[in-house]
Amino acid sequence: MVGRAEQAMSKPSDTSASLGVDRQTFLTPVRQALGRISGQAVPPPPTVDPKLVRLASVSEDVVALFAQRAGEVGMTVCRIKSDELIRTVMGLLEKVGARRVAASVGSLPQAVSLNDSLRRKGVEVVDWRATPGFAEQYGLDAGITDVHAALAETGTLVCSSDAGHSRGLSLVPPVHIAVVRQSDILPDMVDYWARLSGIPGRELPSSQAFITGPSKTADIEGILITGVHGPGQVHILGVEGV
Amino acid sequence: MSSTPSQSRTSGHDAGKPVGLSVNGHDLLFPPLPYDIHARADKATADKQLLDFVHVATYRKDVTRKQVTSAAFGDRHGAFRDLGAAIKQHTLDHLDHYLEQFVDNATAAGVKVHFAQNAEQANAICLDIARRAGAKLCVKSKSMVTEETQLLPQLEAMGVETVETDLGEFIIQLDHDAPSHIVTPMIHKNRQSVARAFERELGAPYTEDPQELTQIARAHLREKYRRADLGISGGNFLVAETGSVVICTNEGNGRFCTSAPRVHVAFVGIEKLVPTLEHLGVMLKLLARTSTGQPLTVYTHVMTGPRRAHEHGGPDEMHVILLDNGRTEILKPETREMLRCIRCGACLNACPVYRKVGGHSYGAVYSGPIGALITPMFRGLANYPDLPNASSLCGACYEACPVKINIPKYLIQLRAEMVSRRITKWSDRMMYRMWARSLGRGWTYRLGGWAQKLFFRWQARVAGTLESGDPYRARGWLNDLPGAAGGWTSQRDMPTPPARSFRQWWDEQNRP
Ligand code: SF4
Repeated sequence: MVGRAEQAMSKPSDTSASLGVDRQTFLTPVRQALGRISGQAVPPPPTVDPKLVRLASVSEDVVALFAQRAGEVGMTVCRIKSDELIRTVMGLLEKVGARRVAASVGSLPQAVSLNDSLRRKGVEVVDWRATPGFAEQYGLDAGITDVHAALAETGTLVCSSDAGHSRGLSLVPPVHIAVVRQSDILPDMVDYWARLSGIPGRELPSSQAFITGPSKTADIEGILITGVHGPGQVHILGVEGV
Repeated sequence: MSSTPSQSRTSGHDAGKPVGLSVNGHDLLFPPLPYDIHARADKATADKQLLDFVHVATYRKDVTRKQVTSAAFGDRHGAFRDLGAAIKQHTLDHLDHYLEQFVDNATAAGVKVHFAQNAEQANAICLDIARRAGAKLCVKSKSMVTEETQLLPQLEAMGVETVETDLGEFIIQLDHDAPSHIVTPMIHKNRQSVARAFERELGAPYTEDPQELTQIARAHLREKYRRADLGISGGNFLVAETGSVVICTNEGNGRFCTSAPRVHVAFVGIEKLVPTLEHLGVMLKLLARTSTGQPLTVYTHVMTGPRRAHEHGGPDEMHVILLDNGRTEILKPETREMLRCIRCGACLNACPVYRKVGGHSYGAVYSGPIGALITPMFRGLANYPDLPNASSLCGACYEACPVKINIPKYLIQLRAEMVSRRITKWSDRMMYRMWARSLGRGWTYRLGGWAQKLFFRWQARVAGTLESGDPYRARGWLNDLPGAAGGWTSQRDMPTPPARSFRQWWDEQNRP
């Protein structure tokens, strides 16, 4: 069973090394091991039968399931009407003592002119787009985002990057407030992939983060601690009827 | 609590060593070859505290895995594992095709893909990227592949300060230790050792509170993210259809390392491919539940190319270094199945031997049952002659594995190969040969059994543990046999055989 590997694996401390090899040179031993030739046809990959892999059905009350599962992984969920959004956000910010915040630019925050409303109430709202990267975000007390989807089966928020959505707002500040519309909630991850089907990689967002709970670690003696690098608190505002 | 480190030293397993450079992480994973397991295994089994620690942690994970997978999948669990295995097997069976597809799609999305046949090439590529980027500070998330290539010392030698950011790996780096579990790297360390490391290396006040310790690390590492100009990650999956790299983490450091610095480099083994996002979804449903009992890891980060022109954050450059490093050797039909491994760690948690000897006893980057299998493949069977025997072949690993790798079967194959290549000692080979002969014939089997019984009962009589009276129950245990039999009793006791054997009893019962 063991043969060439004994020679192929040389010590990692050797210094003289080329900058890798070209693609075909790299693929040659792969093809040799497989007994295949370049361009040889490939049978279709295994079928993913939705009956097998779907763990939450479309008929379920997806809002209730999402709220339950998101709660199980340590996020808080509050169900509100859309005209209660500003008031609820303000209440949350006061509760966590947040004075400096930033929000993503999505349809919902814009529809209720979130930034202006918060400013009028004395909250400092930072324009994170003014500087590249996360520079503005390290000093924030909370990040407010909408989501690209939410998955009921696992209680997951999907936050993707685009012109109005930074990779950082759901990661850098210690508190993440996520606004989830009822229509964002999909029963199962299967439904999310179906939505992306056929889109080439170059047209996908550079970052799609599936967020299932606050930042966690159990590295020290297996004791669960939240907020190790990312936010220690994730509060979800589930907006009904939109 | 503010005692000095020496007073608070309650950890048994590194007691007596100088504070600071107490272990050599590199030698733990790359010991002198051929590697002899006994010294480390004996030390680990003698260390009561380490043993309890690893045992409790792995046992708890093993129980959680069983509960969570049965709650989530119910009677579909078997079919789910079959599908997971089929997806990985199909991809490996046509790996050249999926590699080409991945490279095309990743390139189209703006990724620079590099090809490394071995560790030196992979490191050299990365050093070159760092040099071109003028990198001074590198933040790194957990990657077993960079352990394999031992990248870190090389970056540091080049003058690039490199920081491990996974909390466990960060502490291991401060202690110059090495990871001992593929998912929970510092499973062998306790809070006191963390407190000492933070006090010594970061100048933090001594505290044993895990929450405070975590906050110290958070504050320290935030400064690093802020200044870092190079980020390095591994990859749990590569998606051929889209050219995406996927990492599954819980702390958030993975997202920082791949988003905050201007340049991101992912080190990924070629076996990590899956055909499509739909297939990725199946693997994700299996991975976290099997690994830690979570429905998904807190952060599953799907990265497809560098920052787009209209995006405001994310790396300007994204590189993927595809690594072979002995994998194409395992890709041969006889052993291909081993490459299905998604590094979930379930087989480690389920393994009675891992629980007893800990990860460092395996003397390599990958430990536990899967490590016992692939280490001899990667680094030579003759260099690791003990590993195929470091298993009781109980089958718990096979039962736990989400992609159904038949680990016991391959361990037996490796043992057979050791015998045929005469790596196994001559005396052992002769012993097993005689044993096989005697078991193969009725009369030799009976004679052997009779002689063994006489010997053990004589020993029991000498030791005074053979009690007369009820010949079946009131028997003592032998715990100190002489000669070769002592090898058994040094680690476990032996019951005294009864005066009458099962065969005798059976014959009597069935006598007409
Ligand atoms: S061999 Fe199977 S159980 Fe072990 S780490 Fe790999 S995938 Fe997990």
